[in-house]
Amino acid sequence: MIVADRKPLDEIVNMLKPYENVLVLGCGACVSVCLSGGEKQARELAMQLNLRASNEGPGFHADFDCITRQCDREFTENLEKDPANFDAVLSIACGVGVGFMSELYPETPVLPGLNTTFYGANTAPGTWEEYCHGCGDCVLAWTGGICPIARCSKSLINGTCGGTHDGKCEVRDDLDCAWYMIYERLKQLGRLDEYRKMREPRDWGENRSGGPRRLTHEEVMELEEEVSNV
Amino acid sequence: MRDREVNSQDIGPEGFTGGLLEKEWAPCRHGCPVHADVRTYIEHAASGDLAGAIDVIREQLPFAAVCGRICHHPCEDNCRREEVDEPVAIREVKRFVAETQGAQGASLHPIGAPSGKKVAIIGAGPSGMSAALELAKYGHSPVVFDRDSVAGGIPATTIPAYRLPPDSVRMDVEWICAHGVELRLGVDIGNDVTIEHLLVSEGFDSVLIAAGLSFSRKLPIAGADHHRAYPVLDYLQTVKKGKRPDIGDDVVVIGAGDVAMDAARTSVRLGAENVKILCLENEEEIPAYEWELREAREEGVEVIQRRGPVRIKTDSKNAIIGLEARKVTRVFDEAGNFSPQYDDSDVVEVSADTVIFAIGQAPDPGYAAGSALEVDERGRISWNPDTCQTDIENIFACGEIVTPPGSVVEACESGKTAAKAIDSFLSGTKIDLGKEFPREIESLPERNAENIISRDRMPVPTLSPEKRKCSFSSFQSTYVPDVAVSEARRCMSCGGGAEVLIDKCSACLTCLRVCPFDAPVVTDVAEIASEGCQACGICEAECPSNAIVMKRYDRDCLKVKTKQAIDAGSDVVAYIGGFRASAAEWRGECGDELPGMAEIYLTATASVGVSDLLYAFEIGAKGVLVIPCSSGNDRYPMVAARTGRRVAQARKLLAESGIDASALLMAEAADEGRSAVVSILKDFMNNNSFQK
Repeated sequence: MIVADRKPLDEIVNMLKPYENVLVLGCGACVSVCLSGGEKQARELAMQLNLRASNEGPGFHADFDCITRQCDREFTENLEKDPANFDAVLSIACGVGVGFMSELYPETPVLPGLNTTFYGANTAPGTWEEYCHGCGDCVLAWTGGICPIARCSKSLINGTCGGTHDGKCEVRDDLDCAWYMIYERLKQLGRLDEYRKMREPRDWGENRSGGPRRLTHEEVMELEEEVSNV
Repeated sequence: MRDREVNSQDIGPEGFTGGLLEKEWAPCRHGCPVHADVRTYIEHAASGDLAGAIDVIREQLPFAAVCGRICHHPCEDNCRREEVDEPVAIREVKRFVAETQGAQGASLHPIGAPSGKKVAIIGAGPSGMSAALELAKYGHSPVVFDRDSVAGGIPATTIPAYRLPPDSVRMDVEWICAHGVELRLGVDIGNDVTIEHLLVSEGFDSVLIAAGLSFSRKLPIAGADHHRAYPVLDYLQTVKKGKRPDIGDDVVVIGAGDVAMDAARTSVRLGAENVKILCLENEEEIPAYEWELREAREEGVEVIQRRGPVRIKTDSKNAIIGLEARKVTRVFDEAGNFSPQYDDSDVVEVSADTVIFAIGQAPDPGYAAGSALEVDERGRISWNPDTCQTDIENIFACGEIVTPPGSVVEACESGKTAAKAIDSFLSGTKIDLGKEFPREIESLPERNAENIISRDRMPVPTLSPEKRKCSFSSFQSTYVPDVAVSEARRCMSCGGGAEVLIDKCSACLTCLRVCPFDAPVVTDVAEIASEGCQACGICEAECPSNAIVMKRYDRDCLKVKTKQAIDAGSDVVAYIGGFRASAAEWRGECGDELPGMAEIYLTATASVGVSDLLYAFEIGAKGVLVIPCSSGNDRYPMVAARTGRRVAQARKLLAESGIDASALLMAEAADEGRSAVVSILKDFMNNNSFQK
């Protein structure tokens, strides 16, 4: 899932300076799960903004709302507050939600309340770690399920590099070396043959350098209206 | 599709969740013949709100004080607390509430617009009086006739005072009559005035027969007509009137039901040296409640089982000298029907100078004299249980005259049902007594039960057998207030817990991870079954999607209380876990409350969320204190730890927002007594200079 982290309040307050009437908009999807952008956090953030504003004089007011997902337009029908009635919307969805809401409400500035950080998994209650980079050309089949793009600091595809020591990465001591992990995992699986293969340079065109990506499932795309022949 | 799916629009305006409580009932409520909302009144009692508790009790049960003393409490038999330790002492809490509040301490029910219809009720016992109350509420004019000079029926005239003092009955009758129920006592229908006369000359639109079973049956054995061979009702009624029947020192009570126990224990109190119960049944078959039999034995009553009386022996001066009894080889046949068989070769003589027949009661059909009602040879009238009508359409019947013998609460139910039938009849609509009830919450799964903290049931103060044998005063006293609230707090709030609003659930697993009872299950969305939920509120406070509501309180109730406190002039709010607090503390009646400080008592601080804490500041609080019980000493496990995490998070958010985080503090002290709590409140006020 997409993991995001709330921006420092000072940054948000600065961002909202030009506006007096703001809607904090939560999202019921990934950012609720990682406890950063759910309805509860939207309410709390609105409260914080109001409290902060009350110290700095009258004029500002923040309200809040939340929909199931900010990345599906249908859910906006469930909005209780109309974004058009606010000077700005502070979305605490991931960047996808911010961008999509911006598109749906072209007249209203939609601002990000979170920093979208990674695709991650819940490794312990209260902890999420990065597992995927969304590179568009998955290599997990020959890396024992461990992603070198997301988890190797250099995104190498023929590791390890000289910076590995005792299973750790030279970048940080608490960072596992992804290629050391891949080696151990392949050994466990009896697939070190994969490790010995030289990989061709990747086509990074599938990554974001190829421009915005799109997925289509034709079988569920909208049907054209049937025209009666009678 | 789930069978009990709830969406956010189902919770109604302002997040009100009350309607959800009617989707399922706890077994205590299901088991109660009148379906009193046990969980809710116990919860009121637990928070010291006795006025609220009595109103919930009387909502369904007119004879609250009587049932507080003598109910056979099927609610307790059904209580799911049994699966953890012992059932909640529901009857004792009810007694405490009813007797503390008295007749005047309960609100009256609203009365419907006057219909102009009059209903005559024959019999002022529990079924007749319950029917009268309901009819008054429908807007009709009920008049209750009874040939006795006191209202209340068997509880008033017959049940011994050591079990049921007259005051308890008066309390209930007085409250019922306050609804406009007219009593005409000392009028014997069928003798002084006939049913025909009531209908034709006195203008009654309908008659309800609730005459009960007022004849004691005797056995057709030699000596049964002796003046010291009493029918049990006559015997008990004489004593309840304050008179002393002529008895000797050697009393034998024939029969082993509850009325027989009353007769035996009454004889002990009248000073009889030897009191014996002689019955057909063996220990397992004895029909009296287990506690009645046990208490009788404690008072020295001997129980002779598997013997059937043959004759009462008298001497030449016509004094009773004994009772011959033959061996019983069986009481019930293979189909379970009463069909005793005897061994006539095995006859013993039991010493006796007084015999009391307590083998059951029969109706006295005298009320029917001069009416068109047909009475069979056993004194029964024809009766349709689907409409409560007799064979005359405007004459109805209820109570033991038409139902199997039962307890007071069952009679109340019968009377209420008959009143509903009469109301339909009088308003010209079809009588439909069909009843459908919500699903009953099932037993407590073991994996949930093992996480529930065990709490001893509070004992009821009971006089020793030696002391109680000498007196007709109550042998059990009611709880003192703090014991009553402690007992009420053993209730597990079955059915009052979490409900997942499935359209909001993100399946984030947070509820599953924080629940101390292992209740939630997450598939595509979370499901929290009432079977395992303990209604602590932890999941509701933690759910990031606000997808969980608690059925037993409204989502924003704490915010509402906080707003009221701030609007009333408080600067500082203290949220206090009330599991160990007295009723006076909950009600704010200690007399040492600090000005400017609002104390808000909660079942536990488990339900206080980060947004509740921020809200207090948002609406103007200068400081907030959170006081849970110390770790492991609260109503639920993990409360202090959970609360601590939330307070820390709220402090962080406050600091970020430019509010001094020291304005929010937590202290684990709610279990250390009032002085410790007050000391913390004072320190907080002084250290932060909140005082005005």
